[in-house]
Amino acid sequence: MTIHPISAPVDSASEFHKIQSRPASIEVKDISVAFKTPKGTFTAIKDIDLTIQKGEIVALIGHSGCGKSTLMGTISGMTQPTNGTVMANGNVVKGPGPDRGIVFQNYSLLPWLSVYQNIYEAVDSVFKGKTSAEKREITEENLKMVNLWPHKDKLPGQLSGGMKQRVAIARAFAINPSILLLDEPFGALDALTKGSMHIELLKLWNLDNRNKTIVMVTHDIEEAIFLSDRVVVMNNGPAATIKEIVDVRLPRPRNKKDIVHDPAYMEIHDRLMGLLFDKFSIEDD
Amino acid sequence: MKKLLNLQTYLPLLFGIGSTIILIGAWWGISLLTNSEIPSPLMTWSVFNEMLATPFYDYGPNDKGIGNQLVSSLIRVFSGFGLGSLVAIPLGLLIGSSKTAFRLINPIIQILRPVSPLAWFPLGLLAFKAAEGATIFIIFVTSVWPTLINTAFGVASIPQDHKNVAKAYGFSRWKYITKVIIPFALPHIITGLRLSIGVAWMVIVAGEMLSGGVGIGFFVWDSWNALSLEKILSAILIIGTVGLLLDKGFDWLQKRFAFA
Repeated sequence: MTIHPISAPVDSASEFHKIQSRPASIEVKDISVAFKTPKGTFTAIKDIDLTIQKGEIVALIGHSGCGKSTLMGTISGMTQPTNGTVMANGNVVKGPGPDRGIVFQNYSLLPWLSVYQNIYEAVDSVFKGKTSAEKREITEENLKMVNLWPHKDKLPGQLSGGMKQRVAIARAFAINPSILLLDEPFGALDALTKGSMHIELLKLWNLDNRNKTIVMVTHDIEEAIFLSDRVVVMNNGPAATIKEIVDVRLPRPRNKKDIVHDPAYMEIHDRLMGLLFDKFSIEDD
Repeated sequence: MKKLLNLQTYLPLLFGIGSTIILIGAWWGISLLTNSEIPSPLMTWSVFNEMLATPFYDYGPNDKGIGNQLVSSLIRVFSGFGLGSLVAIPLGLLIGSSKTAFRLINPIIQILRPVSPLAWFPLGLLAFKAAEGATIFIIFVTSVWPTLINTAFGVASIPQDHKNVAKAYGFSRWKYITKVIIPFALPHIITGLRLSIGVAWMVIVAGEMLSGGVGIGFFVWDSWNALSLEKILSAILIIGTVGLLLDKGFDWLQKRFAFA
């Protein structure tokens, strides 16, 4: 391979097709989820089919309450589908498992455990065969990866939102899952922190040779395009379905500053806006 | 300098003095109205000082210092309360985490909880054949409920988020209990213990009036028999102060174990 003197993109758009030819990591087959409520049955999502390849980053986008998190829940195993099956790494999903690391919407750190313990307890419970020295090493390595080693003894309550999210991400990476599921991971962060978290996430994904499959729920169009290979746009619920899947064929590594001027980016952005909004001005009534 | 002159700094002290004046004033008023049948604060004060001068004297079974009386009451209270907590906390953890256990045990709690502690006393006598055992038994029976109910409530109110973490990372049952349930419920458990020790301290006086022997409750009854109202009023002040200190102790524990 030739080394480019200036920072030319390492990947080309044709890399995208290589991803497509990789083995399937997640197969969602004809999934419906219905909840029983006092007012009757509420169908959150209906007849969803989606296949995600290994190493792919996919964003699920849609309006609030459209069932993105429910779909995510069926992949993580936290939600049982009413109909259909989900396969993860070739196995039927029956519940949460160590092959799928979850980053929850509100960080979900245990507030009485230090940053270190929050990660260690997850590592301890997933790697039952390892010695405690090995488990401590994994914990340390992952905390250093997100630059939180100096804060290891703090309680979650003493951390900023961005730091908490880094702990949650480090915890998910620490169990070394082949699939990472992020449920609105950056929703509660301010725009500046959000931007640096995107870069951090991609850095971690790169360090692992882009082998991890990442599925994330978001309602941020720019975030979805910057991070993903495909954006799954969902209809409004109830009984939400997939409206359209938009391919993001932008070369990686992507540059946050430059990418917005790329005509291909603008085209995808417009397409997603069109899918998500009916009105674009007060005159569009 | 400005801080020293600020009224805010002295406000707690001023209020403290104010409430002392109200208490003593009301007491004095009642004393005057009853022609000193209820002894005045001044008369009580001299007896009180006398009692505190030699708190640990022991002139036989019916004449012991106030310190001795207090210590034996406190030992009983902590024995009954300790045993009660040993039952209440594990049972509360169980009821809080299992709907079936809750449905089976809750009706029993609801029936037994309002029963006056003294109603249990004969059963205690029957079981232990001694007043000592019976007194500890009624403390046990009455101090169980607040801890039990608070523990169960604490466990039952664990947020879904915390449960999700345990589920997502496959925590074992033991890890779930020790790293999620107990730490989350701990502030609730301590609140329960705080209420329980308060109830236990109230019950001990009544219990010892029945059981006799030695103890602060017996001391009150014995002073009544000796018609020393000064001693009774002094004992009331002491009981109140010890109760306050017990409460403050658990208040401190509560703050110590509150997580952010």
